[in-house]
Amino acid sequence: MTDAQFEGEHIVAPSSAADDVLRVEHITKSFGPTVALRDINLHLRKGEVLGLLGDNGAGKSTLIKILCGFQKQDGGEMWLKGEDYAPKSVDNARSLGVDCVFQDLALIDELSVFHNMYLRREKLRSPIPFLNNIVMKREARKALDKIGINIPHIDVPVARLSGGQRQAIAVARTISGDADIILLDEPLAAMGAKEGAQILDLIQRIKEEGNVSVVMILHNMVHVLTACDRVNLIQDGVIGLDKPTAETSVEELTEIMVDEYRRARLAAHIGNGAGAAPAEDTAAGA
Amino acid sequence: MAVASDSSAQAGSSPSPGPASSRARRVPGLGLLKRFLTLREGSIVVVTVITVIYFASTTQHFLTGNNFKTLLPYFAPIAIMAGGQVFVMTLGEIDLSIGAMYLFTPFLYVKLANAGIPLVPCVIVSLLVAMALGAFNGVMVAYVGIASFVATLGMLFVLDGITLVISHSEQVTTPGTTIVGVTSFAQVFGEGTYSELLWAIGIVLVLQILLSFTRWGIYTVAAGGNRLGAAEAGINVKLVLVRNFVLCSVLSGFVGILEAVRSSSASPDPSGSNAILFEAVSAVIIGGTLMTGGAGTVIGALIGALFLGILNDGLVIKGVNANYLDLYLGLAILLAMTVNVYIQRVRRGAGK
Repeated sequence: MTDAQFEGEHIVAPSSAADDVLRVEHITKSFGPTVALRDINLHLRKGEVLGLLGDNGAGKSTLIKILCGFQKQDGGEMWLKGEDYAPKSVDNARSLGVDCVFQDLALIDELSVFHNMYLRREKLRSPIPFLNNIVMKREARKALDKIGINIPHIDVPVARLSGGQRQAIAVARTISGDADIILLDEPLAAMGAKEGAQILDLIQRIKEEGNVSVVMILHNMVHVLTACDRVNLIQDGVIGLDKPTAETSVEELTEIMVDEYRRARLAAHIGNGAGAAPAEDTAAGA
Repeated sequence: MAVASDSSAQAGSSPSPGPASSRARRVPGLGLLKRFLTLREGSIVVVTVITVIYFASTTQHFLTGNNFKTLLPYFAPIAIMAGGQVFVMTLGEIDLSIGAMYLFTPFLYVKLANAGIPLVPCVIVSLLVAMALGAFNGVMVAYVGIASFVATLGMLFVLDGITLVISHSEQVTTPGTTIVGVTSFAQVFGEGTYSELLWAIGIVLVLQILLSFTRWGIYTVAAGGNRLGAAEAGINVKLVLVRNFVLCSVLSGFVGILEAVRSSSASPDPSGSNAILFEAVSAVIIGGTLMTGGAGTVIGALIGALFLGILNDGLVIKGVNANYLDLYLGLAILLAMTVNVYIQRVRRGAGK
């Protein structure tokens, strides 16, 4: 069905395999009159790093928010390790092993680094459930050292840290949890070249361990090609391309994205009579 | 202390010999003072101490035991109500109905007691009703989506109205007070000389521990500092809102009963109770809690209430014309807040 619906040489039907840890079919999501996701079909193999590309407003972040339980889809189904997956909340998704680094990082400026690291999974004392700050500090320090991120003081509010350090903490928080599916919404956005490379190294290391699967939204196509096994391109709320990174190139990805932009421009200028079916869709999205 | 922080800074970050060595040459006493001042409560402590010194040196009767007793009812009730309000204001919200709650619960308590119910259950039932009304405030804000200023303003008028209706605008004598004869109950619930002070200190300590050392506390700070981020991290922000409004309401209701027992009577006077609302909110802000949310201190609110009490009491002792009292109080609050803002700037600078 998905094949027939969208013409064009780049559009590939999502192939599912037995070792898929996450499978998503026909996901739709609208916000009032705005259609964010029209029909998303996606799968993630165990130990794979999947890159999500797409123009601004293509629906990447919405998809991630649905996958991690922060928002609910309007229609469509999801499976996690072969079982129905309908997370009721972020907490629920996390308990099932799916965790997310949000684009806005979900850090609390006023709280310390280690409180942010353990937000919603605090270490408590017993019998009275006070926060066990000593243990959290120690563990947070260990986790950050293991990742190799330099945060000199972990008891200062995160407001005092640089954009890159904040991003690193948000990534470290998710990666040092027990999740086996990690969703990252632009993990390199605020990072300098060196910090960005560190995060990519980290993702490489996770990949080599083979237990964790990653879905990552990226803007930089070179990053996609170096860090990901496979790339999915979201255009107008559908997956417009699904290819192993080894079989594509920066040129091809750029060409598709620019082409889409050209068609949207064209459609906006001459209306819906342009002939090609996607023109109508792109016009709605633009 | 200064040396220790220097070595850790050098070990942790890239070497920067210039600033580090200049820091080591500083006088340690100054560093301590700066540290103290940059505490959230630090500035109001300094302002309060200065105020005490001023009144103690310019009047004879300020530093006396008797005056301390006079001071207590000025600040202990405000401190408790401010403590609850800290939890709401740290969320970036405000509860304007605390004065009305303070007005309403004594009349509920009196009605129940006059119906023949034992006194302690009367207190408990009154507080449960206060909790339910607080939960209603919280639901209006968190689930219905009404701004807390508006939702609790509505509650303010509703409670003032109910109080006027059930009291028929008449003053009542509080059952269980010495006039009627039962003393041990009254001793505990407000009439004992230090009863309110002990309640205030106990409640403030518990609240500060709740705010600083429990999940409830850091979720409050998180939801106040970055509501979307807190929700994304998996915190049930709506639940946090509701329970903080419940906490705020029940404490105000409790203070209302304490005060009614202390003074052996309750009068349905909405303007008086709203003055208490403003004093409690002032104490919270003077104490160092941000109106925009994300940071709060219960101890600070207690000291803020103490500052307001001392100012009130000191001006009376100095024999300031009663007509000037509010004027001086207002100017003093503006001055204290200006100092506060300046010190906050120093604090932010210290972080860089």
